[in-house]
Amino acid sequence: MNTMEPAAPGARFPGWLRIVLIGRKPKRTLVRALFLAAFCFVLFKFFIFKFIVLPVRIEGYSMFPTYRDWGVNFVYRLAYRHSEPQRGDVVGIRMAGPSIMLMKRIVGLPGETIAFEHGRLLVNGKEIEEPYLKHHSPAPFMDPVKLGPDQYYVIGDNRMNSDAGRIDRDRIVGKVVL
Amino acid sequence: MKRAVQIALAAAAVGLGFWLWTVLFPTPENAIRSRLHDLAKALSFKSGSGMVAQAFSSQKAAEFFTSDVDVEVNLTGYEPISLHGRDEVLQIAMASRSRLTALKVEFPDINITLGADKQTAKVNLTGKATVPGERDISAQEFNFKLKKVNGKWLIYQVETVRTLSSRAPLGQREASSAPIIFFTAES
Repeated sequence: MNTMEPAAPGARFPGWLRIVLIGRKPKRTLVRALFLAAFCFVLFKFFIFKFIVLPVRIEGYSMFPTYRDWGVNFVYRLAYRHSEPQRGDVVGIRMAGPSIMLMKRIVGLPGETIAFEHGRLLVNGKEIEEPYLKHHSPAPFMDPVKLGPDQYYVIGDNRMNSDAGRIDRDRIVGKVVL
Repeated sequence: MKRAVQIALAAAAVGLGFWLWTVLFPTPENAIRSRLHDLAKALSFKSGSGMVAQAFSSQKAAEFFTSDVDVEVNLTGYEPISLHGRDEVLQIAMASRSRLTALKVEFPDINITLGADKQTAKVNLTGKATVPGERDISAQEFNFKLKKVNGKWLIYQVETVRTLSSRAPLGQREASSAPIIFFTAES
């Protein structure tokens, strides 16, 4: 026969909830929880946040207003494991290593010729729409630049206040995901 | 139980011995890495330090370079700087201390390529500079060349690396590279 006992007066949780939350032996549950927390810490710190998604803090205005100064984001390192970076992707670009990266948008792909006229992007002489830009500015201008077989052209969305240039494929750490 | 304790103690002794070995006899890569971290410390200074302390730490920073060091620094938005010799490095180090209230220099990423003779090395690194109390950071990629002189690794060439090569579009204001920084800077 199933019985249900009422919770003791003053008890914070019913008996079954207490068992679900902290188990029949709270000390053992605490030890298990500590081990689990330590395992998760090691997993995220030394594996997931190192080899899969890199948590980053954005500093500067070169990608404004798409990405704001002091914002937090993630760079997905496996994004280009089975595919190549595409035009419009926002990527993390390493300096000597991934501790400090540049955040830019890819506008030119390998082998293409990139130019800017009155702020419009020209790829191989043809104007390309840039739907991700929230503000179009009359600048910049740039004479055509021919990209090598392994090079990408990157620039920030804040065209009036962004560094830009060619990068080699091996400098791209991953794709900015949010 | 006694056996387990003995095994644990033996393992700890082996670990300690290995650690001592790496401290006392570092590999060239570790020795260079350690020198560069010491250089970063010597280049950093806190606000309120006296003139003598500043001169001493500038002198200490200059001692990481050879007497005939060549430094070519080309930063976006600044005039290129070309220095030759340790004395000019010392002057610049002193001048930076008079202009800034405080500075913290770090080298978070260091890639070392040893020469075949193991007496020279090329280092590609990221230099990060922050003024304590201010939020903005400056980051720049550099190539250093080092050689071993009397058992010490000294820098004999410094040049900046342009992470984004080729020209940028015209018509821009002062360029901003918008570095994004790890929460957990790696050392």
